Amino acid sequence: MTRHGRKPDESTLSVWQVVELARHPERPYSLDYIRRLAPDFIELHGDRLSADDPALVGGVGTWHGRTTMFLGHQKGRTLKERVARNWGMMHPEGYRKAIRLAHHAAKFHFPIVSMIDTPGAYPGAGAEERGIAAAIAAAIMEWFRIPVPIVAAVIGEGGSGGALGMGVADRVIMLENSIYSVASPEAAASIVWRDNTRKVEAAEQLQLTSRDLLAMGVVEEVVPEPKGSARIDYDVAAAALDESLHRHMQALLTQPTEDLLQHRYERFRYIDSLIHAEPQFGPKI
Amino acid sequence: MALAKPAAELRIAGSKLPVIPLPTNCPGCGVALDVESLRKHNYVCDCGHHFRLGADAWIALIADRGSWKERWGDVRSHDLLNWKVPKPYQEVVEQLLEDGLNEAVRTGTCTLAGRPIWLAAFDFRFVGGTLSIVAGERLARGMEQAASSGIPYVLISASGGARMQEGVLALMQLAKVNAAVGRLHSAGVPYFSVLTDPTFGGTAASLALLGDINIAEPGAAIGFTGPRVIKQATYADLPPGFQSAEFQLAHGQVDLVLPRTELRHLLAHLLEMYP
Repeated sequence: MTRHGRKPDESTLSVWQVVELARHPERPYSLDYIRRLAPDFIELHGDRLSADDPALVGGVGTWHGRTTMFLGHQKGRTLKERVARNWGMMHPEGYRKAIRLAHHAAKFHFPIVSMIDTPGAYPGAGAEERGIAAAIAAAIMEWFRIPVPIVAAVIGEGGSGGALGMGVADRVIMLENSIYSVASPEAAASIVWRDNTRKVEAAEQLQLTSRDLLAMGVVEEVVPEPKGSARIDYDVAAAALDESLHRHMQALLTQPTEDLLQHRYERFRYIDSLIHAEPQFGPKI
Repeated sequence: MALAKPAAELRIAGSKLPVIPLPTNCPGCGVALDVESLRKHNYVCDCGHHFRLGADAWIALIADRGSWKERWGDVRSHDLLNWKVPKPYQEVVEQLLEDGLNEAVRTGTCTLAGRPIWLAAFDFRFVGGTLSIVAGERLARGMEQAASSGIPYVLISASGGARMQEGVLALMQLAKVNAAVGRLHSAGVPYFSVLTDPTFGGTAASLALLGDINIAEPGAAIGFTGPRVIKQATYADLPPGFQSAEFQLAHGQVDLVLPRTELRHLLAHLLEMYP
């Protein structure tokens, strides 16, 4: 059983099938969920330094009667939109925008919901020139100081530092057919084998499915998807996500800020102690 | 300013490791190497090429002689993901331990020119200096102690990023160490980060670029995504010097590019200026 309730049905899918579902072009993206959770969502743009990163959407909406800051990676649906959204791969400006909006949320005591769906940060020359590594580093550090509750949900792909840059939260949940990994299977294969065609083997070794992450105690809950995965029924998937996000958020809203930040620190400080892990993992240290 | 004599011997007491293995010719200028004079110049060739150093060599270089006290050297890696291909992870780690290496990060306390510091050094020879659970644990514990005791923290990085064989738990080390860096900053404790060749991926995207002062070695490759992957992903032609220390200086990511021969002197001076 999980720490927080339900265990999804044992999957008969192979690891690679889960990876393909997580990346399915018809899978609901952040805006599909945000517009269902908060129909009055107003998108806010820009990092106030130089640019707006379309790979990350952010804005405010009324969710269960409370103004909430929503952030999420956004992939494109059509080819044109995919290019415009850069396939959900953020540039440095995206992380700076996320932290700008997090401070905005903190000013008004809005809780934050973050949706993760990215292959990783953008691996291009421009991103390097504008300091992608420092932007991610600063964002990860800054999330630990944001004095409002944060719940993150991996809704598709959680790839590498690009995902973690949006994934420091008080609770992290995953949709059943989503993945979260130190690197994409292709990148891991390229690093370990110097051959990115060994992606299936890499995916199997990485233990990147929602069940693996739950078993390690890295995420608090796996949210079941409708039969045939989230792409079959956006409304049912959104309702399940809504219920889980709201339940976790409710528990956080009553916590004094000092406790909240201390718990967030400890959540990541001891995340590898495997105290909550199933017996095949530790605790080992 | 009275500087203690730099350690002359690049060897740590009790270490089984050989002295830094060198190629016979300098990759920078092609000149045949005189090992003895290189050693005296902190493994910097006359042409300016900086040889990569292991953690033991860095500790000997930075710490006043006899002042090094290693901490948590007995924390060990475990093969949590049961990683089998192409080589079983457990065997790789055991072999490296047998060779005398002790994980990708070693940490401890020492003095530099008589002033106490916390020192952590990556070792690129241990699975590419990759950030692992053990590395993250040693870093975070040291930073927490530095934050509570007010002792300055010095980091020497040389790392390929997060360790694939520890999966998402290795990724989580970025959050773990960055949270600890945040503690250093809120405690007002100086944090000097020295970036050496190479510093990439999760290490660049976490503690290495979060120093109060980031110091890079000349010619060091520093970045998030490696050039091979950038070329694969974008088909871009990368200009010469892309992701070099000098490139990062020009793009505002590091404060200084400083030859290794001047590093100890600068750190000693900084420790005086940031008490």
